Amino acid sequence: MISARRAQIFALLAPYLMGAFLLVALPAGISLYVSFTRYDGVSTPVWVGLQNFQLLRIEPLFWVALINSLIYISQAVLLRTLAALGLALLYNQPRRATGLYRAIAYLPTVIPDTAYALVWLWILNPLYGPLNLALRAFNLPAPAWLTDTRWAIPAIVLMSLFQVGEGLVILLAGLRHIPRDLKDSARVDGANALQTFSAITLPLLSPWLILLTVRDVVLSFQNTFTPAYIMTRGGPYYATYFAPLLIYETAFDRLRFGQGAAIMLIVFAVTIFLVLALYFFFESWGFDDD
Amino acid sequence: MIERTRRIIAAIPALLTRHLLPLLLTTLFLLPLYWMLISSLRMPGQPPAIALEWFPAAPTLSNYTRIFQILPLWHYTLNSIIVSITGVTLTLLTASWAGFGMSLLGKRARLRLLLLSAGLQMIPVTALWLTRFLLLAKIGISNSHLALIAPALMGSSPLFILLFYWTFRRTNPAIFESAELDGAHLFRIWWSIALPMARPALMAVGMLAFMFYWNDFINPLLYLRSQTLYTLPVGLLHLQEMDKTNWPLLMAASVVMTIPPVLVFSALQRTLLWWELE
Repeated sequence: MISARRAQIFALLAPYLMGAFLLVALPAGISLYVSFTRYDGVSTPVWVGLQNFQLLRIEPLFWVALINSLIYISQAVLLRTLAALGLALLYNQPRRATGLYRAIAYLPTVIPDTAYALVWLWILNPLYGPLNLALRAFNLPAPAWLTDTRWAIPAIVLMSLFQVGEGLVILLAGLRHIPRDLKDSARVDGANALQTFSAITLPLLSPWLILLTVRDVVLSFQNTFTPAYIMTRGGPYYATYFAPLLIYETAFDRLRFGQGAAIMLIVFAVTIFLVLALYFFFESWGFDDD
Repeated sequence: MIERTRRIIAAIPALLTRHLLPLLLTTLFLLPLYWMLISSLRMPGQPPAIALEWFPAAPTLSNYTRIFQILPLWHYTLNSIIVSITGVTLTLLTASWAGFGMSLLGKRARLRLLLLSAGLQMIPVTALWLTRFLLLAKIGISNSHLALIAPALMGSSPLFILLFYWTFRRTNPAIFESAELDGAHLFRIWWSIALPMARPALMAVGMLAFMFYWNDFINPLLYLRSQTLYTLPVGLLHLQEMDKTNWPLLMAASVVMTIPPVLVFSALQRTLLWWELE
């Protein structure tokens, strides 16, 4: 009887476990193997040891892509988290229009990535784009955005700031978790809004902030692909050449699957490192994480 | 008089956060969609505006008829619908099964699966896509819609499984237990008791999974070689490759592609935006 029940539970979990094995564990294992080989995707892989990694060390494009990705992530994750936090605090109160405000704040997140990249390519057009037309109307400096090496990454960060719907949802759920009377009693004790926020809201929200930032680091690594592919192809002068685009071109344009796999492994290692660093950063901040 | 002034000054922060700031932000968040829409209504060949324009001088819908003439857009739309609907249906099945199964496990096994799901969530797709491609190519499904739907096998995203898991953990276990004592099969309990209780999770996951499959650009770009299989995102890329500067046309195609997710979102957003995790 007991074992029959276990078999049924296992059957419920079977597709998930099978998928996790077939689509994640197995590809990860193959990556590990392929990264030590020379492989064009068709003929048999040739074992070359650490050669792929050694070649990457002296490949300038690899460093450019990695550093661009890290610059993008550090800017985007920080600003996106702050934006989501600000929005969540602003839209937390249940008022008549809050439902509509929340829905509209989420709306840009719904736009398909390709359409989103195209409309921003138009918005950011240095000559005729609405953004620069507006900036010029106010006599503000109008940078050349995606065609200026200094402004290209900030431009992509800017467009990512409009897609913070998921972060908003996560933090709203977190805010609803905070008992009302905790805040009320703090107010009775004479704490002002800022003190309540830093002493009660922020610490109690920290598990959700960890979840959000960690998820955003992972997503930010991959989310640079579509803008880079559709808007800039890595340009100008490799200013938006990010790691995913390098992986794609290494493997599918140059058919160097071994080297592509080596880059993937490094990206994965860097992600894990960033996630752990974030975790310990929050930990040292003295926040509980359960 | 002074009392009144003080009261007005004291009311300013509330006025700002309650009305002015939300209105400003709402306008800001509407702008990308708004610009997409009005740019799609401009006459093709009209010189670009040199001052900010809030509505085109001679609006036209001709761009919308034109994109369906130069591209097999209906065909791409149909492909997108097929992929999205199968993807969403399978995701709802596998994710709710896994979430339900997890909620029934003992403490240790449950914790292990939670850790596994959290770990899976942490792997960027970019760290897998090459070898996933090689694997699916070896199985022989690389140039097919099956390759696009493959993630549904594992519930598309560990997050979806966790959403179901939380829902089922929250419900009183006695309800499931009494049904089990009556000798009901777990799949039967899942279908007749668990799922009807998980309506919010079904709606939220259904919506997010729809976006996942409808918006997916990387997978069709990697896997699809035959044009007859193309979904809308790769179709849009083709339009861009044909003429990079025909903005009205590109924006019209973008609008067509954006309408379905906006509709699905409008219908189902309440469950997600007012989600309770308790």
